[in-house]
Amino acid sequence: MDIHLPLVQKGRSVRTQQSAANTQARKGMSPRAWRQARAFYLFISPWLLGFIFLSIVPLLVGLLISFSNYDGLNLMEVKSVGLRNYARALGDTETQYALQRTALWTLLNVPLWLAISFGLAMLMNQKVKGRGFFRTIFYLPSAVPVVAIVWIWKIFLDKNYGMVNGLLGLIRPGTALPWLTDYALQSLTAISLWTGLGSGMVIFLAGLQGIPTELEEAARIDGANGLQVWRHVTLPLMTPVLFFQLVLAIITSMQAYVVPMLISPGSGQNLSNLPPRGVYLYMIHTFQQIFVFRRFGYGIAMLWLLFILIIVLTFLVFRTQRYWVYYETETEEKKA
Amino acid sequence: MTGKPSSRTTQQALTYLILGIATTFILMPEVWLLVTSLKKNTEYLSPQFTFLPAVPQWENYVQVFTMIPFLNYVRNSLVLGVTFTTLCVMSSSLAGYAFARIQAPGKNFFFSIVIALLMIPAIVTVIPQFVIFSQVGLTGTYWPWVLWGIGGSSFHIFLFRQFFANFPRELEEAAELDGCGPFRIFLEIFLPNAQPVLATSAILNFMWVWSDWFNPIIFLSDANTTLAVKLNYAYVTPQGQQLTPIVLAACVLYVMVPVVMFFLGQKHILQGIVTSGLKG
Amino acid sequence: MATRKITRREMLKLSGTAALGTLLAACATPASPPQAPASTSAPAVASGPVKISVMHDPKEFTEDMIKQFEAANPNIKLEVIKTDMTRFYAMAAAGNPPDVVRVQAPDLPQLLSRKLLKDLTPYFQGSSLLKPDDLAPANNYYKAKSPTQFGDGPIYGMVKDWSPDFTLFIYTAAFEEAKVPVPDATKSLTYDELADMGKKLTKVQGDKVIRWGFDLADGWIDRIWMNMLAEKGASLFSADYKKINLVNNDEARKAAKYFFDLQKANAMANPLNPSTDWIGADFTKGMVGIIQYGYWFSAMAESDVTKGKVVMLPSPTWAGKRRGPTMTATGTVISAKTKNPDAAWKLFEWYHGGAPSVERAKGGWGVPGLKSQYAMIPTDSPFQKQARAILDAELPYTNDVIQFNPYISGDTVYNLWNKYVEQALRGSLSFDDMLKKIEAEANTAIQEGADRIV
Repeated sequence: MDIHLPLVQKGRSVRTQQSAANTQARKGMSPRAWRQARAFYLFISPWLLGFIFLSIVPLLVGLLISFSNYDGLNLMEVKSVGLRNYARALGDTETQYALQRTALWTLLNVPLWLAISFGLAMLMNQKVKGRGFFRTIFYLPSAVPVVAIVWIWKIFLDKNYGMVNGLLGLIRPGTALPWLTDYALQSLTAISLWTGLGSGMVIFLAGLQGIPTELEEAARIDGANGLQVWRHVTLPLMTPVLFFQLVLAIITSMQAYVVPMLISPGSGQNLSNLPPRGVYLYMIHTFQQIFVFRRFGYGIAMLWLLFILIIVLTFLVFRTQRYWVYYETETEEKKA
Repeated sequence: MTGKPSSRTTQQALTYLILGIATTFILMPEVWLLVTSLKKNTEYLSPQFTFLPAVPQWENYVQVFTMIPFLNYVRNSLVLGVTFTTLCVMSSSLAGYAFARIQAPGKNFFFSIVIALLMIPAIVTVIPQFVIFSQVGLTGTYWPWVLWGIGGSSFHIFLFRQFFANFPRELEEAAELDGCGPFRIFLEIFLPNAQPVLATSAILNFMWVWSDWFNPIIFLSDANTTLAVKLNYAYVTPQGQQLTPIVLAACVLYVMVPVVMFFLGQKHILQGIVTSGLKG
Repeated sequence: MATRKITRREMLKLSGTAALGTLLAACATPASPPQAPASTSAPAVASGPVKISVMHDPKEFTEDMIKQFEAANPNIKLEVIKTDMTRFYAMAAAGNPPDVVRVQAPDLPQLLSRKLLKDLTPYFQGSSLLKPDDLAPANNYYKAKSPTQFGDGPIYGMVKDWSPDFTLFIYTAAFEEAKVPVPDATKSLTYDELADMGKKLTKVQGDKVIRWGFDLADGWIDRIWMNMLAEKGASLFSADYKKINLVNNDEARKAAKYFFDLQKANAMANPLNPSTDWIGADFTKGMVGIIQYGYWFSAMAESDVTKGKVVMLPSPTWAGKRRGPTMTATGTVISAKTKNPDAAWKLFEWYHGGAPSVERAKGGWGVPGLKSQYAMIPTDSPFQKQARAILDAELPYTNDVIQFNPYISGDTVYNLWNKYVEQALRGSLSFDDMLKKIEAEANTAIQEGADRIV
């Protein structure tokens, strides 16, 4: 194959292509195909190395650790404990509580986020003046780093010195509602919405604007009113986007941990602070196991179980597609 | 829209009302941040609620720099950000281009791996990475970010792939006739025309590092950690009491960077969000 | 055109290989196995600058101190890492823990059981600054015959300064407001008397607690708990420390109920009514009636708000027997796996017996680790004099130690209490169920801990 190289270097590739075609007829791959394949693997080599050493190896190591009693210091004396960590995770009341909290969190956050950002997108889709202004305002919180978001809301909702209680105190003196402790779930939902509405709105707005206006006009010509147009034309055409965002939102919600971790007083220094009980989410529980109790095996087993749960949930949601998601018949967009 | 003019105006009024409420919800916490950052600590901690500071304490912003070597931590965040961004953009653009434009056996297999990796929560790999890095002494260093950068990101690979896939086939064919190899084609033809996606990818990557709290907390120590981590506990009195207004001033400065980047790259970022949000 | 192509390509290749090369180099060095510890006889002459890593609080181990030490010891370079137990264990996992580490009493049994501490007795015996006879009672926390026998034996470290931690500070204005007579500063009260006073001193306005009546030392309930029980010769743990007994342990239950009642009455900060900052700062704002803190608190107890209205009281008793040791015993140890024990000792000796220790003694933030330095404690203001008098009266009761469990980390029980007391205070868990849960989880943790040690 190398005999063609000098020709290539001199730029007379016409001959190469002809000979390549001949070679291809005789052998499996032409020199061009070889070059392409070599280039391909060279191009993806950094990613591939990353995949092997930063994904596969850690996944396997993690799996191994989950079958042991590794605690960071006992590498030489580490013992295998079989499936005990997994069994324990399934039977532990604390883990169950954390899972329950996470499920509640997801059930609260995801529908609210979908509905409100979709609603905002619908509003913005009309002839609204200053659309760019609104879009920037709403999207800005997504650009704010999470550490700052937590500080913003910590001082906003603080029991004794926050703005919310301060304003309420003007109406009813002495108000000191413990937003961040007793109403942690609701407060964190508000934070989550504050951060996420912008990006949701932008995505749904783009989706809405992608709907050809002829369809809506055609429906109206046929006598449909606003609501019917929305229900029978707009909404069905938006279902693919809604579906995709729903899946992503569920996956993200189930893994939430940063904001609850940072919100408890005196935190931010390390990974061992406990958030209020109401937002004792699954991931928080996992980090407690790993960084406070140094139960690496148990913690990783819990992570694997969550991972499996998310896959199952995603699969189930995918299954419901046929009941409510309408894909355009021209392009068969089957999800992976 | 069918309907009497008055119902249209009611509808418009309602729309603006709702948008107004939403805007207030979004803006109020931000305003409170700015306003409180200019108060004295005793003013913030007083049982008496005040909205505006009695006297704006601009010194708070000066103290941000004097109480701790603030610029050192800015530098740390910058170094990590630039290193990671450069490596990640390079790695992801190469891979994205390869998936979009180069034929090779096994391509689809590897691309489905890229997609599948999007599904795996980062945490499942980060914790074992922490264990491995601890055992070989890489914790407390910036090496994890170098490695992550080289490994690229599934999301960004996807971004580049979608972008490069839209170029016409003829480009490569013409280039190959001139004797160009794939690498030259990439460097001289595709890359110069990829400014929008390069900008998006770079901005998003940098903003991720700048905002990241979790990874520096695990992998770095106090001396070389990023601003994101440090400002949470740095502004305290000798007795350990938080000087909240100064922390808030630091937050305001800290937030400036991604916000400015957002304004500059708004068009590209939103485009990127939309592309990834609409298509599967 | 041709030259430009090659340059760009070559540059990429070069940077790639360079990065890879340095990466491999970086990976190779730290993984080398730890060397055998050097002999502990006469200090060896260092042949080039030796690097000592110190894990400490940058506020207590300042830049100035680093410069001072390096100037006096040109052969030794210091690297200070901020205290962070996760980082410590990560470094220890790599076989490369910091040479000198700042620790507190609750950490010690566990560190010893994992064989992470170096026996420093020979160094103490050979030292002119740190003589074993001169060591203050708090140093008993650093002496141990085994992980479950702390109090005496080989010396593993030293206290940097300490306070009898069970003393009390009261805010007389709070007493006046509540019309409770100010107690006599020469008598030791009982915990029950304090609880009564505390409940009377508590002030609540609407949903906010504006004065906590009686708060115990940041809620280090577990340590106070253990000290109380030790008065009666009882313990939370079984004799071999492999089990914790709370439910069937009447003494433990009684003490736990004591704290619980205080928290329920909002006399003490709790998860439902936490301090926004920390309770010491609240005291200086006049928001606490009685606070249990060690002598060190006298350095900050008087603020603009509380000046002239603070009185220090002796430690109380639970069952009549006086026991008022320190419960933190912040100090330093040297890692067993250190590669430069002599240099590490030099730093240790300087920090604990040299200029820094003198500065600490004169600062009034605690009692020195060496008895010979007691004379340096400041007694200028009337309050400082009063506090010093109380301190002197406490000293006879500071020889005991609180024995922490070597199989769990020092704050396990404390964290479990905080986790479950919140639910119990809200009523979703009964008090006894709370004890059951704490006991069960603590026992699991102890079991695992014992299991990890070969």
